[in-house]
Formats: sequence, C-alpha cells, structure tokens
Amino acid sequence: MEFKDYYATLGVEKTATADDIKKAFRRLARKYHPDVSKEPDAAERMSAINEANTVLSDPEKRAAYDALGRRPPGQDFRPPPDWDAGFEFSGNESAPGQDEFSDFFANLFGRAARARRGADAASMRGGDHHAKVMIDLSDAYHGATRAVTLRSARLDAGGHVVTEERTLDVTIPRGVRSGQHIRLRGQGAPGYGGGPAGDLYLEIEFRPDDRYVVDGRDVTQRVPVAPWEAALGASIEAPTPAGPVEVTVPANSRNGRRLRLRGRGIPGDPPGDLYLELDLVLPPADTEAARELYRTMEREMNFKPRQATERSR
Amino acid sequence: MIERTLELLIDDDGLSVEELASACAVSCEWIERHLEGGLLEVSAAETMRFTSVHLLRARRLADIERTFEANEELAALVVDLIEEVERLRGR
Repeated sequence: MEFKDYYATLGVEKTATADDIKKAFRRLARKYHPDVSKEPDAAERMSAINEANTVLSDPEKRAAYDALGRRPPGQDFRPPPDWDAGFEFSGNESAPGQDEFSDFFANLFGRAARARRGADAASMRGGDHHAKVMIDLSDAYHGATRAVTLRSARLDAGGHVVTEERTLDVTIPRGVRSGQHIRLRGQGAPGYGGGPAGDLYLEIEFRPDDRYVVDGRDVTQRVPVAPWEAALGASIEAPTPAGPVEVTVPANSRNGRRLRLRGRGIPGDPPGDLYLELDLVLPPADTEAARELYRTMEREMNFKPRQATERSR
Repeated sequence: MIERTLELLIDDDGLSVEELASACAVSCEWIERHLEGGLLEVSAAETMRFTSVHLLRARRLADIERTFEANEELAALVVDLIEEVERLRGR
C-alpha cells in the first residue's frame, strides 16, 4: 500500500499544534466541500482531508503515525510489526465516510485494524455506506440496471487487513427522481463480533444533459423548430426521453412557447408532465439560394422586428 | 463476482428515526433535537417516516456541524443556502 503524508495533505508542518491542524482542516474543508466547491475532484480531496484530519487531530493516532517516520508520499509501505505498541487509540469514534478512506488508513487505523488489536471485541453493527449513482433521464422513464463497485476492508484468516472489491447489480426503478435514495440492506460495512452489516444508500443523480430541465417529475425539453413550422403550424416528431412523439405546433407560435404533454414526464402516481419549449432555429444563409429567400422575405414581408418588440411590451 | 441484491427506494416506505440516525452516523437524540428545533421537518402526514429529502438534509447538517464544529442553527442556515442554490441551478 502507498504511504500517505497526512501533514502534506493538510499543508501543515510536522511541528504543527492541534490548533494549526484544526485551522488547516477547516480551511481546506471549506475549499473542497463537495456541496459548494467548483473543483472537479472536490469529493476525493475532501475524503483525503477528512482522513488526514481523523489521524492528526487524535493525539494517540498522531503519535503512532509520527512513530512510523516520514517517507516519500506514494512509496510502497508495510507497517513494521507492533508499530502501534504502546498507543491506545480512542476506538469508539466513527467518522462517517471512514470506510472510503485509503488502504493505508484501513490497515493502520480502520475498524478492521482495531478488531485485529482486539479493540472491537463487543458486537457492533457495521456502519451505513453512501454512494452516488449517475443515471440518464431516460433511465428514469424505463428503469435500468447499474453495476456498482464497492470496496471494503476486512480481516483475513491470518488477522491481516485486506481490502476487497465487489460488484453489485442494482435495479434502478422506473419513475425514480434525482435525489432519491435506494437502500440496499446489509451491503454497508461488515459488522464486528457477530454484529450485522450496515446498509448501503445509493443517491440517484441525473447525468447533466443540456436538453432537459427536470423539476420533480416534470421535465422541460427544448425542441428546435424551423421558422415556417412555428409560423404556419406543423405536425412534428419530437425526440423525448420516452422516445419520439408526434406533436402539433400551433400556427403563429413564438420562440419559447411551451407545449404541455400531460403525463409524459417522469412516470409515477401521478406521472409528471413533459413541456416542449419551442426553440426557433434560423436556417443558415450559406448558399446563394438561401440568401435570395431571405432577401425575398425582406422585400415582401414589411417586417420590422424592433417595432414588433416595442408593441408587444 | 456480481451479486444480485434486493433494493428498496426509501421514499416508498420511509426510514424510522433509528434508521435515519444510523444513516447519518448521529444519535436518535440528535434527530429528535433537530426536529424539535425545526431544523429538520416532517409533515404531520408523514408520521415520523423520513424520505430522501430528509436523509440528504440531515446528512448535510451533521456534516457541517461536525466539520466546522458549527452551531446547529448556523449549520441549518448553511444547508438552507445550499438547497436554495441547488434549486436555482436546477431552473
């Protein structure tokens, strides 16, 4: 496993006081908090910051970590035997997300490691895990299956902490909305001393898609239309998350007009509505014939767009 | 190895106080205190069953309080703002 330089993660010196560590942690937590940060790797950074803080803010853990000495980050590392002799970690804290910490943490400070030291003799339920699952909006219309890969630490027969990956096939129910949670009983952290495993909660999130705006079960979708379709009215085939639908565009439709298709939003009881927002697209004037058509309109139509805008105010 | 598993949309049945507390790594007292203080809300019709909305909010509250050792009302104010930003971005 890779050695983790927790001091570097928090950007503090090895001589930092508890107060320095707290300040550095809070400053970074504010910067990388996944709910507010715009950094692309905010969630991973926040997990690393939490891990470093969990060790360095606990005097016993920090002393044991310091006793390992300092190594280049990323270097392959095996803790020496009895590296933690003489240290007594306060063993009952359960920092959420701890099960997502690195192998390095799991081996030295994780719950499986504490169980090896006999610190978790009492029966204890495993913690609940949380993860996000990204799906497409069309998956909410039809339902889907997603393979979710989980990593967990456990003790092998020889008492060593091993991390293992497993993959679950999860059914995403039809009608699911962004922000809803699916609960998988017994798929969280394993229990100790005969305690039951925790649960896994999967938060559903729709993959960003510029074509749609989703509000609860209602979906708004922009549909490009030609000027003559909007002006004269037309029957068009619009692609929607549920598949193509035939819609009538009323004559004299303006740009941005919303057509409501009742019950064609995300399925449910009641189902949401689908709004098609007309997006007037101009044909490019990139051939002589096209330019001539535009000139003809200019000559024949006596159309003064700024005056029209003034009148409609 | 791929396992099949039984999954449940929590909004179908809701979570109990104990289940919500466990999912947020907080105590039942923490949940009850936040309900009494109006920082977490359940409608009368929900009869103390908690949905995805409650789970997300309670986890955020607990996280802000823990990370910044924040006052509960202040953490709730931060979470209110996060929820408002999300709502505006969704438009």
